[in-house]
Amino acid sequence: RLAILPSIIRGDWQSHTQCTNPGSIQTPLHHSSSSQTVKKVIEINPYLLGTMAGGAADCMYWERVLSKHCRIYELRNKERISVAAASKLLANMVYQYKGMGLSMGTMICGWDKRGPGLYYVNEEGTRLSGGMFAVGSGSTYAYGVLDSNHRPDMTPEEAYDLGRRAICHATHRDAYSGGVVNLYHMQQSGWIKVSQNDVSELQYKFREGN
Amino acid sequence: MSIMSYNGGAVLAMRGKNCVAIGGDLRFGVQAQMVSSSFEKVFSMGDHLYIGMAGLASDVQTVHERLKFRLNLYELREGRSIKPNTFMSMVSNLLYERRFGPYYIDPVIAGLDPITFKPFICSLDLIGCPMVTEDFVVSGTCAEQMFGMCETLWEPDLEPEELFEAISQALLSAVNRDALSGSGAVIHLIEKDKVTTRVLKTRLD
Amino acid sequence: MPTVMEDCVGAIQHRFSPYSFNGGTLLAFAGSDFALLAADSRLSEGFGIHNRNAARLHKLSESCVLACCGFQGDCLSLLRILEARVKMYKQTHQRPMTCPAIASLLSQLLYSHRFFPYYCYCLIAGLDSQGQGAVFSFDPVGSYERVPFSSLGSASAQLQPLLDSQLSSGVQLSASQAEQLARDVFVSAAERDVYTGDSVQVCLVSSVEVHRDSHSLRKD
Repeated sequence: RLAILPSIIRGDWQSHTQCTNPGSIQTPLHHSSSSQTVKKVIEINPYLLGTMAGGAADCMYWERVLSKHCRIYELRNKERISVAAASKLLANMVYQYKGMGLSMGTMICGWDKRGPGLYYVNEEGTRLSGGMFAVGSGSTYAYGVLDSNHRPDMTPEEAYDLGRRAICHATHRDAYSGGVVNLYHMQQSGWIKVSQNDVSELQYKFREGN
Repeated sequence: MSIMSYNGGAVLAMRGKNCVAIGGDLRFGVQAQMVSSSFEKVFSMGDHLYIGMAGLASDVQTVHERLKFRLNLYELREGRSIKPNTFMSMVSNLLYERRFGPYYIDPVIAGLDPITFKPFICSLDLIGCPMVTEDFVVSGTCAEQMFGMCETLWEPDLEPEELFEAISQALLSAVNRDALSGSGAVIHLIEKDKVTTRVLKTRLD
Repeated sequence: MPTVMEDCVGAIQHRFSPYSFNGGTLLAFAGSDFALLAADSRLSEGFGIHNRNAARLHKLSESCVLACCGFQGDCLSLLRILEARVKMYKQTHQRPMTCPAIASLLSQLLYSHRFFPYYCYCLIAGLDSQGQGAVFSFDPVGSYERVPFSSLGSASAQLQPLLDSQLSSGVQLSASQAEQLARDVFVSAAERDVYTGDSVQVCLVSSVEVHRDSHSLRKD
């Protein structure tokens, strides 16, 4: 099973006003886009990646705290933390702040003894394991592309292309998504960064029909 | 969210030497969702006269139709083309008739006088308060961004091609920093003997 | 400050409004071996101007400068804590804090007030450990990013697209070009934004020194 983490890189910085849509990266009050280059895939350690959607500061801070806990676990137990445990640490941390207005929709992706792992964690403390997720304000559009083109027997190249396409079409329809697609591939030996593409260039390429 | 930014959009007009330019983006959206990328907001109202409207898309279309109606009646009655200044009053009147239930649009007018070919640009608010300026007028969800661009790029007495360059740069850079406008742009460059219309590509995200 | 608000139906509301907006615009560029910050010096509130010569650029070390605007009370408080933490670091570790380290510290300070945030827009600019120019742009709750250029504050919406069009093609500015561009865009910002004006203060961080300069803007 492949676990591919495509992610969109534009998003408003969460200001002190709260996001009403937990999956949205942008506050509804401010529609000017403040950055096209925010790294929405956070490299927790060589075997773990996390994604950002919702409040940028919330994701950035809690995933940094998570990376600290993962490192401490590794030092104490002389083995790497499992994806299940890492995602549960994050879910438990944010669960403590439930109802206080954190905004975080994240996917934790990694490789451990059980093979590839992918978990969805949000600010309410929900934690789901699954084979495919899309998170954020454009996730519904991304699911449309993913569900219609996904096959269980895809080669890595096919999966890369599908991930890029899903993000690209999502950024086209969703005003609050855009910028670049950062594509990572989680392998047994850890993650590799596959590519970084400007979505606008990809969109014009897809329009020409290839 | 304000009704003025429900659909999103941007319109900009600039004055040059014996010419004016007006441009608008092509996005039609419903809040965050992009619905169409070919929604023109700038309409021809005569040989040398254009109006652009940013705001609620249904009102943009309604006001365009009603203005066209009034303009046709005016030209049939008078037997001549309307002056930009008079057209501004017509728009102002139409909007103020809905003082307590306004059309949610911010219009921008650009044109040349049909006799003297003197450049004219102005903008109005949603209840018809007109403002004539000598440099540029902006309206839409990225008005601030356009102000910042125009304030630096615009200078007096721009030649037609320079004016086109300035307005294109201003509009493109402004819509790229606004989530609710973009998806392409159209610029009309109005000169004494011709109107040049160019469609510009923008980022599509 | 506690305020009594009367709305049009005559109901009296007692409300605690802890924030106000004191205007100000910030700008920073990162060059190959320098960083440049600029900020205006108008401190205003509503329709009034408190101070035409307010300082928004604060030197934190020989290679790092903080620019801060938003609510002046929070800016001052944040600056005081940050300066103390930078000094404590220097005394404990016997070496000055690097610019990326200060940025990380500021992020944590801002996030520590996640549920009652500092109403501050911050830019940190300086030189990184390789001597390259670095600019870090922050939001009020501590999300930050290293960027080649950035503008924040009341006229940021006007400045940012301009910087995009001038700089996004990867042009490397020299220090004097950057300073000229900063002055020009502030003249434009002062033209349209009522919370920006009076003067623009420019701070050039290079390996030699932190050089300060000031240029007047329109005062109306």
